[in-house]
Amino acid sequence: MLGSWIAAALRSATPLLVVMVGETLTQRTGVINLGIEGEMLMGACCGFAAAVITGNPLLGLLAGAAAGAALSTVHAGLVLGARANQISCGLAVWMIGLGLTSYFGRTYVGGQVSPILPIGAYLPNAPAFVRGALDQITATAPFAIVLAIAAGVWLYRTRTGLNWRTVGESAEVARALGIRPTWVRFQSIVLGGLLAGLGGAILSVDYTQTWAQDITKGKGLVAVGLVIVARWNPYLAIPVALLFGLSETSVLKLQAGGMAISPSLLATLPYLFAIGVVVFAQAQGRRNAAMPADLTAIFRTR
Amino acid sequence: MAIAASADKQPLIVMRGVCKRFGMVMANDAVDLDVFPGEVLALLGENGAGKSTLMRLLYGLYPPDTGRIEIDGRQVIFGSPRDAMAVGIGMVFQQFSLLPNLSVLENLLAASPRAPWWQGRRRPVMNDILVWLNRLAPKLDARRRVSDLAVGERQVVELAKVLNLDPRLVILDEPTSVLTPDETARLHGFVRHLAAEGKAVIFITHKIADVTSCADRVAVMRRGRLVEQGAATAKSSDDIVSAMVGRTVTSRATPVRLRSQVPRLQIIGLSTAAGHSNSPIRGLTLSVGGGEIVGVAGVVGNGQTALAEAIAGLMPLAAGEVTLDGVSLACLDSGLPPAISTIAYIPERPIDNAVVADLDVAANLELRRLRQRPFLGGSTGMDLAARLIAKYDVRPNNPRLAASSLSGGNLQKLVIARELSGAPDLLVACYPTMGLDLIAADSVRQRMFDHAARGCAVLWMSEDLDDLLQYAHRIAVLFDGRLVAVVPREQASRDRIGRLMAGIERQDHAA
Amino acid sequence: MRRDLVDPIRFAPILVMAIVFLLVAMAFFVSIGKPPVRTLLDMVLFAAGDAYSLSETLVKTAPILLCALATIVPARLGLVSVGAEGQLFVGAIFGTAVVLAFPNTPAAILLPSMLLAGMIGGALWGFIPGILRGRLDANETIVTLLLNYVGVLLVNALVFGPWKDPRNLGWPATVSFPLAATLSGFFGTRAHLGLVFGILAAIGFGVLFAISRWGRELAVLKGNAKVGQMIGLSFGRQAMLVMSLGGALGGLAGICEVAAIQGRLQPGISVGYGLTGFLVAWLSGHNPVVAIVVSVLIGGLIAAGDSLQLYAKVPAASAIILQGLLFATALAVGGLAQRWKAARG
Repeated sequence: MLGSWIAAALRSATPLLVVMVGETLTQRTGVINLGIEGEMLMGACCGFAAAVITGNPLLGLLAGAAAGAALSTVHAGLVLGARANQISCGLAVWMIGLGLTSYFGRTYVGGQVSPILPIGAYLPNAPAFVRGALDQITATAPFAIVLAIAAGVWLYRTRTGLNWRTVGESAEVARALGIRPTWVRFQSIVLGGLLAGLGGAILSVDYTQTWAQDITKGKGLVAVGLVIVARWNPYLAIPVALLFGLSETSVLKLQAGGMAISPSLLATLPYLFAIGVVVFAQAQGRRNAAMPADLTAIFRTR
Repeated sequence: MAIAASADKQPLIVMRGVCKRFGMVMANDAVDLDVFPGEVLALLGENGAGKSTLMRLLYGLYPPDTGRIEIDGRQVIFGSPRDAMAVGIGMVFQQFSLLPNLSVLENLLAASPRAPWWQGRRRPVMNDILVWLNRLAPKLDARRRVSDLAVGERQVVELAKVLNLDPRLVILDEPTSVLTPDETARLHGFVRHLAAEGKAVIFITHKIADVTSCADRVAVMRRGRLVEQGAATAKSSDDIVSAMVGRTVTSRATPVRLRSQVPRLQIIGLSTAAGHSNSPIRGLTLSVGGGEIVGVAGVVGNGQTALAEAIAGLMPLAAGEVTLDGVSLACLDSGLPPAISTIAYIPERPIDNAVVADLDVAANLELRRLRQRPFLGGSTGMDLAARLIAKYDVRPNNPRLAASSLSGGNLQKLVIARELSGAPDLLVACYPTMGLDLIAADSVRQRMFDHAARGCAVLWMSEDLDDLLQYAHRIAVLFDGRLVAVVPREQASRDRIGRLMAGIERQDHAA
Repeated sequence: MRRDLVDPIRFAPILVMAIVFLLVAMAFFVSIGKPPVRTLLDMVLFAAGDAYSLSETLVKTAPILLCALATIVPARLGLVSVGAEGQLFVGAIFGTAVVLAFPNTPAAILLPSMLLAGMIGGALWGFIPGILRGRLDANETIVTLLLNYVGVLLVNALVFGPWKDPRNLGWPATVSFPLAATLSGFFGTRAHLGLVFGILAAIGFGVLFAISRWGRELAVLKGNAKVGQMIGLSFGRQAMLVMSLGGALGGLAGICEVAAIQGRLQPGISVGYGLTGFLVAWLSGHNPVVAIVVSVLIGGLIAAGDSLQLYAKVPAASAIILQGLLFATALAVGGLAQRWKAARG
């Protein structure tokens, strides 16, 4: 029973975790990308469409990642090329993504994808007490966790990871050290977009196996906030994403459990949870101690 | 100071006819400079004379408009500091280029081109990076975050960072402005050591003391031009100062005689909370009388900011009380200062703490009067602004100009104009002459003393010990957030204050 | 500060922006298989070609302007609020609550009470991120973005639940508003009082920001909160104030939409007016008076989009695509213009 809850939470958290890892790396270079909401939508829509057309869910995931990366180049161009305000750029990209997916996705509403098999299907001899859990999660879940760990190792233990962090602390100092901040930021934005698209594709192709307009309903925006809660640390993204997944799972169970509370009201809980943890994280005395220094100008905190 | 005969040494670096213009300002005007290996060149000049610009040109941060730079006899053109570093030029900046959120080790790794791709826990390669750091500061733990380090320690890391690249020329930009006398002496010794090892060192400074302690040669800049060059021993201090300013200068500010001792500002047991970005004050007790000038010495980071802000009502008190003529100055529960209009406060770093950069000069000048009327407008604001600009020599003299376009020195003058043009009962001045040229600094000092003569209580924090020794009636010394001594001027000496600043000596003091 | 009323940076690139956007829009039309020039001309016609089109444009202008102001007022303090959508929905809730509770009150009392309640609801939805920012320094952008979704869900919860009109089988909505609570349109069109409120508010705030001490205090706090504290200003208090004021305007937009256009509270009362308002606010340089003009233009774009959907089979989502493209174009042109200007020295 507990295993089932955790598995469900993990399943729910997986798309979010993938997106969070991407945005963590982006913010580590001093760029905030609110457009990942639009990129996640692009990934969900194009991924779903590709999965329906080709019948292969993995191709769907790849297509979704590519779509997210493609849209993120708009954000990169605006932020790095035109040096425009990052919040506004992200919102513009979100609007474009929302509009494009609403339009081009309408033919795929109600479409069917072949599902990715859960892990349990590959391990028929697994013991009974993990059977339930293994039947619920697919390979995307451990993939997401490995991704987060790999990102952490790369960020903290390699030269290029240190370079990216240097850019996020001070583009000026990075330039003096011979690093090219603009090129690093371009890479981080596109990588963030790619992972956002992948997360979106996982959401539509694997988790919900449907497509509907605005299917992400703000998950990308939640991810931006949760990155702050996780202190821009890819390792911490795992428990944070899991907690959010748990809040979503609880809502689903409560809704299915026939409680007398309106399902819409219950659906506000994950958002309230996200707001709560973001506020709590920011109210901590030394919150800015971990924030990449170049981000503080964008957040305009005192 | 042994001088090698420069005639038979080839210069490492030759700069000829270097010019650089920023907008309307000619920062460097046809500068010719030679730099020889194995010797220390002191590059002197007032604030704004062009010394930093010249060195930044040499370091490749931007290209000269005209002129030639030659290294080892070959002309070079630098596209970026990377090119300069590749040729063996290293620079230690005044505002350190360290990343405060990263550890010392990470900062050194980031700056080192020899650092490996995989930075796990392999020992041998890391030790390479730490060699210079261990030489300079053997007790410094490289895993500490830079933001936790004191200023002197940060400078050591910055220096190690540069030396890791094995440079042939080391440029130091105003390194002694943030050090205690002890640390300064250590730095001078180290600089001589570097020269003895065959490196060339350029020491940018505006203090004569740095010249006499460690320089072989002196170059003086004034208003963008190089006006003097030669061996250090051949020049007297007066010669150098005249070259810096352009005429013989005697300080015209007259010290104030202390008349009464009636305390006006009383601080009893003041403590501020830790956890803000400033180092806290602990149990400080001090009083300042009407017409008295109490100087506060102590290296930046020992609680000066906390003390100033607590008195100005900007920082809540954790314990103790602060009163002026019996009225409490403590910060209110709302986080705001009490509505007392008779305190003048000149904070450090005006661009960050005292000025709204987006507003124009006139708006900044009338900030203190803002709460008096519900609607703006009218010519009184502009008239006032014009008068103050003229009186305090703020340049350019356009009240409608955005404050952000003023230079640091002129911003300082703007703040001083705003704060000192009234009739305050208490003046808290933090490094008010920093960034000002000699004449402006003199005039600011005079104005402060005029207020003291009027009966105002003056608390003056200064990085310049000579100023305090000459003009303050008593000198309070802060170390690590505590008041370690209050020394009357007659008993104060550079040595003694220096030791107190470094925490070496403590004294039971009478408040 | 006279400088604030008209920002000279905007003038020259505005023309470039408009041209580039038209090209981009035409490219978009081509990509969906519609004739580019014909569609553009249709849009202009549908926006302002006759009295009816104009009135429809003004119908859209009202909530857009109010939502733009909901972003502009906090922006004066440097706060980035994207919460107009949520404030709109919560304002609609509060206003509807009054109508549902006292349906038989005469219009002279019911109408102002309903509008006031709407403003209070919106103000509450603005106050929450305001106090979180003021007291805890929590980033208002993220909080307002997430509260938008909460606001929409709250409306859903009410109209699917306790407020559902029992006679409405399957369609989630409240009962129709009584006549006393309906904001009638002018001259037989649907353009309503909300537009007047918006214009008055825009002018009012414009004047206040330009010449009042409060406006200057906001500018000081926005530029350097520490200096503001030094002269006795409280960033936290002003944050709560501007967010509540902005929220009140967003709430007013919501209740006006319900009372004048929809006639009842139901899920689809906003087609993204909140985000559109943010776009308008940005395009106006955060100037309330300029926002009036820009709101009309964007209102025209959305009204034209509606008509295009009906008559030319252009998809409904194209309105938001075009807004996104407009936003991106404006950001690109504006940013490049600033870079070019800075490079010239």
